[in-house]
Amino acid sequence: MNAFANAEKKPKLVLVDVCKNFGGVTAAQDIQLEIYSGEVVGLIGPNGAGKTTLINLITGVYPVSRGKILFDGREITHQPTYKRALEGIGRTFQHPHLLDRCDVLTNGITGSDMAARKRGIQKVDLAKELPRLLACAGLEGINLSDPVSKLAYGQQKLLEVVRVLLSQPQILLLDEPAAGLNNREAEYVSALIQYATEKGIGVLLIEHSMELVMSVCDRITVLNFGTQIATGTPEQIQSNPEVIRAYLGGGDSDAEN
Amino acid sequence: MLQKSKKNPVSAMAMTAFALLLALAPVATSVYTVHVISVAMISYLCVLSVYVLLGLCGQNSFAQAGLWGVGAYLAGNILLKTGGGTLTAFVVAIAGTALLAFVLGFAFFRLKQYYFTFASIGLMTILNGVFMNWEPFSGGAVGMKNIPTFTFFGWQATTEQSKFYIVLVVCIVATVLIGLLFRSSLGRAFMAIRDNEMTADSMGINSLLTKSIAFAISGALCGAAGALHASLSGYLSYQSFTYNQSTIYLIMIMIGGTISPAGALIGTCVITILQEGFRSLQDYMQLIYGVGVILLMIFQPEGILGGGKALYERICERRKKAKAGSR
Ligand SMILES: Nc1ncnc2c1ncn2[C@@H]1O[C@H](COP(=O)(O)OP(=O)(O)OP(=O)(O)O)[C@@H](O)[C@H]1O
Ligand SMILES: [Mg+2]
Repeated sequence: MNAFANAEKKPKLVLVDVCKNFGGVTAAQDIQLEIYSGEVVGLIGPNGAGKTTLINLITGVYPVSRGKILFDGREITHQPTYKRALEGIGRTFQHPHLLDRCDVLTNGITGSDMAARKRGIQKVDLAKELPRLLACAGLEGINLSDPVSKLAYGQQKLLEVVRVLLSQPQILLLDEPAAGLNNREAEYVSALIQYATEKGIGVLLIEHSMELVMSVCDRITVLNFGTQIATGTPEQIQSNPEVIRAYLGGGDSDAEN
Repeated sequence: MLQKSKKNPVSAMAMTAFALLLALAPVATSVYTVHVISVAMISYLCVLSVYVLLGLCGQNSFAQAGLWGVGAYLAGNILLKTGGGTLTAFVVAIAGTALLAFVLGFAFFRLKQYYFTFASIGLMTILNGVFMNWEPFSGGAVGMKNIPTFTFFGWQATTEQSKFYIVLVVCIVATVLIGLLFRSSLGRAFMAIRDNEMTADSMGINSLLTKSIAFAISGALCGAAGALHASLSGYLSYQSFTYNQSTIYLIMIMIGGTISPAGALIGTCVITILQEGFRSLQDYMQLIYGVGVILLMIFQPEGILGGGKALYERICERRKKAKAGSR
């Protein structure tokens, strides 16, 4: 889906002038963001730009210093984290946050348990969906009764995406899902993102891997020191001089092509 | 591919076998031993309450003996003062203790991290003070005497043996219910909070409410144990419901292991056998526990059960390798 098709539709998630200060550090400055169902929005920027902070603001881990967050047109700015999750905002963490004393299966089921806490959604058919998602994530070979601590780092990160998808979110916030993954595992990330968009989930993707971002994102927004310096299609972003200066490495031809 | 109910098959089978063996105890042993086992089973219920709170939900409480006391005095009051029967006493003890724990949990769990543990120490101290001083409720320092034994529809449990079976049935029912809890979405919410509260939040789990429910369930178990204690011993004294007793429950689960109800069972057995078998060493008991727990935490932090499980897995792996090798 491209940005033009969104014109008549209402965005699922809207950020209006969102600001966040940590003491003297400005981690988010007047952020404007809209995410529509079924699209992938990339969020890129150098280390410390405020990307993770933005996810923590959307999910309510941190309160905003200023600004508004709307979900389905309703304001959720002051709701606690768990309520926003119940509304349909799912997330993963930069470092995998699994239930590390539980086995793989329990980790999967805890995702699908969301339906037990939330009225109006049907529980996923775990017997069908879990194998499908595991295959999507390249995890079909793992033993479901193994503790997750036995999995490799990359597998843990992929399993976390599987778990959040089993909770049937409407907006999915992915914090560097491919960081620390090898090339083959990174392809599974694309497959999982495709699975999400096919289900109509709007995805916010934070990622340092330009290859992944440029290939899956419909739109990209670039952060630098908490400020949005550009928003646009992958092509526009790649040729934006300010972005190149701030992030893509100042005229490095590799990034431009 | 998806077999939900295959958790800990070994431990479930072992526990069933143990319960069957236990059911034979009254036939094979003295009245005194039967009484000791009944008392130990009541402790087991309190240790099971620690399993729910600490093992499943990751919250450590030093107030479990206090909740046990609340259940005991509630039951005692029903039986002595209102003329209510055993069943009424049971329901009131369980519901009352659970409700108290829920309300307190809702207040305490607003505190983050280990502050709940601090609050539970305060609660234990307060409850003990209440038991000692609130005469209309607890009989004060004199305690509560002549509490009638278990009575169901005109039938009275007068022998140690019949009381034993009542306690056993309650323990089995409680264990099965906690087993079901483990497999439920509520049980998984507990484990999510235990393993990572940030993840739990991000999965829509209201951690304040959920932790309060865990505390309430642990309260219900302590309440049941208290009601059993009131009718089994016929006498209640504030000296039973102490901070020390709470610590013993924690030691029991540490020794047994927090990974399943079997850990609560093993820990209760070990401590009871130590207490009964080495009466002459009574003065040194605290020291033995102390050293024992420290050694265990250094060498086997998952307790006896965790050590056994690791050993079992190693043997399985070796067998698998041996099989592969012989081909
Ligand atoms: N809890 C916090 N308290 C204080 N400062 C914080 C906190 N979280 C983030 N910051 C600061 O906010 C800024 C943005 O951090 P953030 O983690 O959002 O960056 P990021 O874009 O995710 O970086 P990376 O690519 O390294 O993950 C940094 O300067 C960081 O030090
Ligand atoms: Mg980050």
